[in-house]
Amino acid sequence: MSLEKVETMQKISLEDALEIAKKGSHCGMCRFDFLGTGICPSGKKYGFLAYWPQGRMQIFKMLMSGKVKPSEKLIEIANSCTLCGICDKQCNFATQLRPEKVAKALKDYTNNLDKSEYQEVIEDDILKGLREIVGEKWATNDPVIISSYVQTIIHPDSELNFYVVMPENAEEISKIIKFANQHNIPFMPRSGGTLLSCATPTVLSKAICLDHGIIIDLLRLKKLEVDVKSCTATVGAGITAFELQKEAHKHKLRANLAEAGAHVCSNIASTGITSTWQNRYGWAADNYIDVTIVDDKGTIRNNSDMDIKNPYTTERGFTDITLSPPGIITESTVKLHPIADDEDVILVPFEHLKDALSMIIKLAQRNVGVSLIVLSRKYLSEFLCPTNQIAKDFEYICKNYLKLNYVVDVIGNKDDKKIVEEMAECTIDKSMIKTLILGAPKLASLKNSEFLKVLSEEKNPCKAIFAGPMRKHLEKGLDASPEQIAKVFDADLQDFFKKVYSKPEMTDIIWLHSFRILPSRLMRQRLFFAQAGMIWSADQDKILRLVDMLSKVCDKYKLEHMLGFVLPMDDGKYVFFEYDYYYNHNDPDATKRVSQALIETTENCLLMGDILMVLNYLFKGLYRKEHVLYPIPKGISDEDLALFRELIVSILGDEFKW
Amino acid sequence: MVKFLSDEWNNISKEYILKKLDPEKDLRNVTTSLLAVIEHVPPNDSTMNFYLELQDGKLTNFIVNTGDTYVGKEAVFTVSGNYGTYRSILKGEMSMAVALLRGRLKLKGSKMKALQIIKPLDGVIVSLKEITDEFEE
Repeated sequence: MSLEKVETMQKISLEDALEIAKKGSHCGMCRFDFLGTGICPSGKKYGFLAYWPQGRMQIFKMLMSGKVKPSEKLIEIANSCTLCGICDKQCNFATQLRPEKVAKALKDYTNNLDKSEYQEVIEDDILKGLREIVGEKWATNDPVIISSYVQTIIHPDSELNFYVVMPENAEEISKIIKFANQHNIPFMPRSGGTLLSCATPTVLSKAICLDHGIIIDLLRLKKLEVDVKSCTATVGAGITAFELQKEAHKHKLRANLAEAGAHVCSNIASTGITSTWQNRYGWAADNYIDVTIVDDKGTIRNNSDMDIKNPYTTERGFTDITLSPPGIITESTVKLHPIADDEDVILVPFEHLKDALSMIIKLAQRNVGVSLIVLSRKYLSEFLCPTNQIAKDFEYICKNYLKLNYVVDVIGNKDDKKIVEEMAECTIDKSMIKTLILGAPKLASLKNSEFLKVLSEEKNPCKAIFAGPMRKHLEKGLDASPEQIAKVFDADLQDFFKKVYSKPEMTDIIWLHSFRILPSRLMRQRLFFAQAGMIWSADQDKILRLVDMLSKVCDKYKLEHMLGFVLPMDDGKYVFFEYDYYYNHNDPDATKRVSQALIETTENCLLMGDILMVLNYLFKGLYRKEHVLYPIPKGISDEDLALFRELIVSILGDEFKW
Repeated sequence: MVKFLSDEWNNISKEYILKKLDPEKDLRNVTTSLLAVIEHVPPNDSTMNFYLELQDGKLTNFIVNTGDTYVGKEAVFTVSGNYGTYRSILKGEMSMAVALLRGRLKLKGSKMKALQIIKPLDGVIVSLKEITDEFEE
């Protein structure tokens, strides 16, 4: 049944639902319980992405575009939703979307289908073989289920000739890989899917998407055990950062983790885990004691095995072009770190990046603070604000009235705090951050107010408002309370959000740093792609030149962009930077421009030298940071540049020739 | 058109590369050798390889063998992958560079030198595509 045909019956609801579904960005926040609501009962029962809210939205989009035809499984997918409303609460916190409306529309659509409109799905020999390994329930080639994986491991233009299999342990994965090799079928693991969803619309899809074959969905590997005595946790590949942190915090311990929805094991394999805690806790192999990995032959091994080649090294330079997982990590034993009793947070506002950089590097080199980062006003606004519009207005105020473009964000003990206070002209304390979280809507509403105009004329507006006599007026004026912030949500969700924001952790910036639920707001109804890497920190002018270059290239390609953050690592000898391009993932022209900017900025970074790009470390192995960071890379020669361009053209075609 | 890895394929490929590819323009006068290992070859799940040698852009050796080595010859590069991957490359569904990017082909040897011959090798692949249309399924 085409959209036109259905339109006559359900015009408004289907169109509305499609509009919501298109804005879905696969942030993955609907697959774990970060608000105390519980999780989607159908997703929990059936496992496949199709039965989770994000998967239903993708299926709806695919059905409406005619890219997939209904199958009988669609009835089960639609009916498995109990309309419990959990997804609306979770998704609204992160992206302001209402997935339940899509689920309702999917039910309506399915109820109106004729039986003749269902396509027949045949169990072929490959599927039979996979089902023998994992059981009938956990392997499928149903195109509707497959279509839910589009955009997070399958390119939107791909045909749906895939299988999805959900193994329970390493032994089953080993059997699947051996089976796939024997039948010459490619395979790829999928975990949280957030990295894949950001990269899939771009040129990186050439490297990270599966064109056909077997998707190995790792969600069922749910082992999670904390060993308090050794300060370690053993986690299966299906465990998210949030779930591990929750377990660690029960024992007053903290894990070094990526954003809440990232799966711990896959994050070790992909980016090595980048976090604000990494100057102290480390990066890459610093994070784990051991991993169990199934290699591309299906052999199960542990990194601690004595008879395997040194597992902690990786190739250097731009010539190792492989950007796919080195194997499937099925389990890892990761380090946990004690949480000090006197931990506190302090933010130092800056107008200029140069000054913020200088401070963060000094702090890192002196080992002050356990969490260190420079956040841009963009990130600060996106994280703190509950809606896109409020974030925009908040950012506008930071830039135009407060001259607050960057904050040095430090978590440490009371001695660390004292050192920072001595170094800074003005600081923002924990209580004021809570005020800003709860009062963000009110502050944003002051965008064109006289109050802010007067404030902007101060020599140091941040000092005046956060540390001077105006602080009391601000605190009073913002009326920062759970009741106030709840008002920005849809009427039927306001009571719920009043309760959410009444929980101490939701305004506790240290908890929010540990559990990282706020970065999902960067995927609020659109996507971003990060040009990221590490740069030697000794030449701070070079860091500024790098940021300037990234900005100019993005301007050239007419992209919304800004530096996201800079964080120190390896005792401040390096800094990790992330520069983000924001784009509408439904707009092919925008995704093309992101791709062009990505290639051009990569080339420029290679020429500049002293920079390690995503290309240098993503999926390159389970290495020690020392093998990646040293020796510091030199800028490439003209001859190498010609080779790099030839390689890009060979991979991407003449479209990327310049 | 012939079957991939057959004796006929081997002979025709050799002739085709010698006739159709210009040593200077297409093969950049490159001197190198490549051992392509093909794993999981149907129907017996065997391993085969073909060894290819170029001297100043001229094909001097091209031979198909069983197993994962060509006894007596040490190739500058070895690329390994399964039969399905080679089939995709020869059907034009995927380039060698993309196969490397996706980790479907594993490369042994200097990556920098490998990049230098990626363009000439693309030419060789295009030639092989012209003559190969039959694969084990």
